[in-house]
Amino acid sequence: MTASPRPETIAMGASRMISLTLNGRPVTAEAEGRTNLADFVRDTLNLTGTHLGCEHGVCGACTILVDGEPARACLSFAGACQGADVITIEGLDDDPVTAELRAAFNREHALQCGFCTPGMLVSARDLVLRLPEADETRIRLGLAGNLCRCTGYAGIVKAVASVISARRAQGIGPMTAERPLGPVGARAGGAVSAALPTTVATAAAPSATTTSLAEDFTPAHSFEQSFEVPFPPAEVFAFFGRIEEVAACLPGAVIDAMPSPEKVEGGMRVKLGPIATTFRGSARIGRDDATKSGTIHGAGADGRSRTEGLIRYRVTDGATPGTARVVLDVGYTLKGPLAQFGRPGLVREVAGRLIAEFAANLEARLGGTQPSPTQERGLDPLKLLISLVSDRLGRLWRRGGPTS
Amino acid sequence: MKPAPFRIERPRTIADAVALLASGGDGAKVMAGGQSLGPMLNLRLATPDLIVDLSGIDDLRTVREEAGHIIYGALVTHADVEDGRAPDVGTNILRRVASGIAYRAVRNRGTMGGSLSHADPAADWVNALSVLGAEVEIAGPAGARRLPMGAFLAGALATALEPGEILVGVQVPKVPATARFGYVKHCRKVGEFAHAIGAVLIDPATGTGRALMGAIDAPPLVLADAATLFGGRIDAGFAVRFDASAANAALVAAGLTDAVDRHVHVEVLRRAATQAASLFTDTRSAA
Repeated sequence: MTASPRPETIAMGASRMISLTLNGRPVTAEAEGRTNLADFVRDTLNLTGTHLGCEHGVCGACTILVDGEPARACLSFAGACQGADVITIEGLDDDPVTAELRAAFNREHALQCGFCTPGMLVSARDLVLRLPEADETRIRLGLAGNLCRCTGYAGIVKAVASVISARRAQGIGPMTAERPLGPVGARAGGAVSAALPTTVATAAAPSATTTSLAEDFTPAHSFEQSFEVPFPPAEVFAFFGRIEEVAACLPGAVIDAMPSPEKVEGGMRVKLGPIATTFRGSARIGRDDATKSGTIHGAGADGRSRTEGLIRYRVTDGATPGTARVVLDVGYTLKGPLAQFGRPGLVREVAGRLIAEFAANLEARLGGTQPSPTQERGLDPLKLLISLVSDRLGRLWRRGGPTS
Repeated sequence: MKPAPFRIERPRTIADAVALLASGGDGAKVMAGGQSLGPMLNLRLATPDLIVDLSGIDDLRTVREEAGHIIYGALVTHADVEDGRAPDVGTNILRRVASGIAYRAVRNRGTMGGSLSHADPAADWVNALSVLGAEVEIAGPAGARRLPMGAFLAGALATALEPGEILVGVQVPKVPATARFGYVKHCRKVGEFAHAIGAVLIDPATGTGRALMGAIDAPPLVLADAATLFGGRIDAGFAVRFDASAANAALVAAGLTDAVDRHVHVEVLRRAATQAASLFTDTRSAA
C-alpha cells in the first residue's frame, strides 16, 4: 500500500501500515501506535545499525536522519512519521561526508565498542555540514547529546575537528537544506483525520497492594505546609476525625473500606502533567485529642511504583480568635521506576496546590456547603502517593529529560 | 522501556484535533514533536489510551508577523527559531534561547507549543516567553481564547488548558531596538533541564525592565518592574547596581526556603543582568 489519503489511525495494540522512505527506498510495514522509528527499523525491517540506549532521548545512540536532519528515533513514533524520509546508518555507506568521518574515526581511534558510533556519526555529520566554523568547544557542545561510555570523547572530537578543518581548507561552506517549519518527519500530506474512534476501554485499576506499615518509618523527604480556616480549632480537629469527610475534601481520594476506626483502605487518583495514575493501599490513623494532633501513615502502589508516607497534623489557634491553623508535616519515600527521578521542590509545589484545594473544600464543608466537584488531583491520606509520583517525574526532567 | 499501548490519531485540522481530544477525555494526550511526552511514554510514567498527534496540522506550522509582535504556530520547532526560519522578535533574542535547548536532534522535532503545554518549570520557553510578555492562543470546544503566560502557567506541569483545549500559537511582543535581553541558565550538563534560570529585558531608553527567576519548581517568578532590583531606577548603568538582597527577598516571598537554592537563583539573575548590560556595547555573534 502507499501513503495515500486515508484515515491515519493506529489502534491501541493493533497494527497498521506505515509507509515511508527508508534509505532511499519506499517501505511499507506494520507498526503499533507505540512503535518508535528505532524499533520499526530494527525489529520490523531488520536494520540493526540504529542502537537503542536510554530510550528517553538522552543518550543519542538512536540518532538517525529524518527528512535529512538528526532526530531521536526513540522519541519519534512511526505513526507520526508517515511519508517521512528516513536514513539510518546503513543508508550512509555511500555518503561522502560520512565516509570522511569513518576514515577520521578510524584514524583517531574514535570508537571502541561502537555502541554510540551510529548516533555519533549522524550527529557529527550534521555538525560538519551545518557548522564549518566550529572549534573544539563548539564540537563538544554539538556532541553533548551523544553519550560515549568507553572510548572517551578526545578521539571523537579530534576526528570531527579533522574533517571540519579539511573541508574548511577546501573552502566548503555550510550545507543546509531548505525545510518547512515544524517537526522533521511530520507530513501533513497523505493523511486525513479519522472518524471519531470508538472509546477505548480504560486499563483495569491496579490491584490493591498490601503493604506493611513499619512503626519506625523514616521518610526520605519531608516538608511542612500549613493553612488557616475560619472555624474554631476544636471544630476543625473534630472534622479531621471524620475520615470519609476528609477524603471528600481531597480531590482524587476514594475510600474503599474502613476495617476499623484506625484503618482505612482506598485509593488516590494522581494527575500531574501527562502522568495519571491511581495508587491504592491503606493507611493507619492516629489521633491525640489532648494536643489536637494526629498522624496518617499510609502506603500504596500503582502497580509499578510504591510509596509510603507519614503526615503529622496539628490544629492550633489561628491568627484571630475563632480561627484555626492546620500545620501539616509531610514525609514520604518513593520506590520503583519513579524513584530514579526526584525533585522534592516540585512535590512541595504540587502538594501546596492540593492543600489549597483541600483547605477550600474543608472550609466549604464546615460552612455547610458541598465541596467543589472533585478534580483530578488529590491530597489525602495517601497524599504521599502524589508526592512520590511528582518526585519521580521531577528527576526525570532534571536528569533525564532532554527537552525543554 | 517501551510505552504502554496507545492509539494514535493524526488529525489535519485544529477542529478535528479538538474533537478527538474531547472524545478521549482523561485518557487522551496531545502530542506535537513528542520530545517531552515521548520520554514519559517510554518510561510509562504517562499511559494515555489515545495520542492526538498535532504534527500533521498545517495551520500550526506557521509564523505570522504583525505590528508589534510575532505569532508562532504551536508546531514551530526550536531548530526553526535557532536557524532563523522563523523570524526573531529582536536581534538574537529567541534564537539564543532556542540554540540552548536540549540537543540538535531534539530541537529538530521539539516545538514551542509542546514545550509550553508541558509546562515544566525548568523549560526554556516557559521562562523566556514569560519574561518577554508573551501570550498564548488557545483553541477548544468553546472557541478560541488568549491568555498571558502568567495566567496560562498554573503550576508545575499544569496549565490553564481546559479539557479539549489545545495551545495553537504564541504571540511574542517585538523587542525594541533600544532594549537588551539577558538570559542565563545554570545546568550541570549541556542540554539538561536548568537548575536555575535568570532573565532580564531592560530598556534604558524608557527606563523600564522586566526580570525573571525560573526553574523554581513552580511557574517562574516574574518581576514586571525590575527597577527594584537596580536601586529603584533603570538606566545605562543598571547592572552594577544589582541588589542581590532585593532578588533574595522576592524568592523568600515566593516561598523558597533553601538559602543555597536562593543564592544560586540570585547569582544566575545577576549574571543575566550583567549579560544584558554587556550587550549594549558588544557586537554579538549568533549562537
